[in-house]
Amino acid sequence: MKRRKFLQQITYGTAIAAAGSLPYGIAWMLAPGSKWHFGTHLKPPGALADDQAFNEACIGCGLCGEVCPPRCIKFSRREGGGEVNTPYINPEEKGCILCGKCMEVCPTEALTEIAREKIDMGIAQIDRTACYPWVDKGICGACAVICPLGENAIGFDFANIYRPVIKEGCVGCGLCVEVCPHPSLPIRIVKRGSGTVTEHVI
Amino acid sequence: MKQHLTFWMRHLNKLRWLSLVTVFSMLIIIPVLGLYQTYVAAHAYDLLTPGEKRLYDTVEFFTGPVLNDPENDLDAIKGTTWSGTFFGLKLSDPLAVLGQTAAGFEVYWPFILTGLIPILLTVILGRFFCGWICPATFLYELNTNLGAWIHKAGIPIGQRHFDRRIKYLVLIVGLVLSALTGSVLVAAIYPPAIIGREIYYAIALGGFGAGAVFFVLTLLFDLLVSRRGFCRYLCPGGALYSLLGRYRLLRIKREVTQCNDCAKCNAICEFELDPMKDGFGQECNNCTACIAICPTDALLFNIDYKDVPYQGPGHLGHKYRENQLESLNKEVQQIYEA
Repeated sequence: MKRRKFLQQITYGTAIAAAGSLPYGIAWMLAPGSKWHFGTHLKPPGALADDQAFNEACIGCGLCGEVCPPRCIKFSRREGGGEVNTPYINPEEKGCILCGKCMEVCPTEALTEIAREKIDMGIAQIDRTACYPWVDKGICGACAVICPLGENAIGFDFANIYRPVIKEGCVGCGLCVEVCPHPSLPIRIVKRGSGTVTEHVI
Repeated sequence: MKQHLTFWMRHLNKLRWLSLVTVFSMLIIIPVLGLYQTYVAAHAYDLLTPGEKRLYDTVEFFTGPVLNDPENDLDAIKGTTWSGTFFGLKLSDPLAVLGQTAAGFEVYWPFILTGLIPILLTVILGRFFCGWICPATFLYELNTNLGAWIHKAGIPIGQRHFDRRIKYLVLIVGLVLSALTGSVLVAAIYPPAIIGREIYYAIALGGFGAGAVFFVLTLLFDLLVSRRGFCRYLCPGGALYSLLGRYRLLRIKREVTQCNDCAKCNAICEFELDPMKDGFGQECNNCTACIAICPTDALLFNIDYKDVPYQGPGHLGHKYRENQLESLNKEVQQIYEA
């Protein structure tokens, strides 16, 4: 008799716990996690450096996207597991103009207000085997013209004044990626650690 | 004086619908204004497509006389009911504050302070957000009406009942899971957050996200399983507001001298409460539907920190008169025996 009661209690407990977690399970299944994305996914300017800390801080309100003047901030809507409804910037579609409105409006510490030069979304990296001026296929300089940080972030090679060179001041806003005319986008934003500023790997 | 007050209280339900419609339409208008801001900021009217030009012209027609600098002035009202800015004042849902604190496992005061005004209002007015502001309530109540039409057409709809305490469990499970997984999970299942976000996605970014599917599932749950089932049994926000508004000051009270026990209030109550027997409790959202439907004006707002216990059958009903007759008979009999 005692055993039966115990089993009954366990069954009820499981049923109640299942009822309580059912909505979360459904929501979790509707937005399955994905290991990788098409295109670059950068966190908006001022984002906490640690991705896990960013997911903890972001409440998915979408305010950063609402105030973004060029509407470059997109959201992981159907994929992402724990990342669902968090913002990202894909510079291949639209680059950030570093206006800082998203940092201003974010209610949590997910996007904290910092100076424009201190933003760290990544760093641009140029593939010197594809970029038009670097392979002597013409003159371009679109990336250097559009760069909002100017001289500190991008300059030209000493030997050929049309060959762009990334400098330490680059914050990875991705405007250069957006305007790059080359179909294979020889300029891309990578994580600062894996970026190449002085030595060139690719 | 009292007559005037009764008159106004009877019409509060219409005011509530006005409020719901206003909030819902603002959720649509704000992203459209955001699009307009984008077009203004781009300084390239000639490059817009015809559809974008139409939107630009329409919004400019309405906002032009009011605004000098639309690119920045329209930032005054942004966001959804989940979190937003209102003329520089940042406001957040108490559930967002709680969920984020649980997920991050640390107290970030600038964010917690944004939830202060809603929390204070909830402590005073109770679960008023659910009845008066929540954009999901707007759709859920329309869904209930649809259910009534379907029922009239002869198709059976769900009328199941569950334990109302499940939603407190959902809230606790959500907070625990948020702490364990490190992401604000309640945001993914909380209908007002989903609605605001999905409308924004649909208008500004194009296409719905996963939340829209979840919301449609809750609508189907309401229609096929239980009327207003999600709000009653599952909503974590509703659970939080019920707890916060447990000792609310503004509550509906039954005037037993006016009541005729018609039970219309019980039938109209979306939250399955029992106004006819003074059973309001912490889950009443002050939606005033029962006040509006009461044929004898027996339900009125009252200022008190707790409900009146059951006052017996209404004085205008049959049961009260029968009881009276019975006791009279007894008295007469007692006198007769003596």
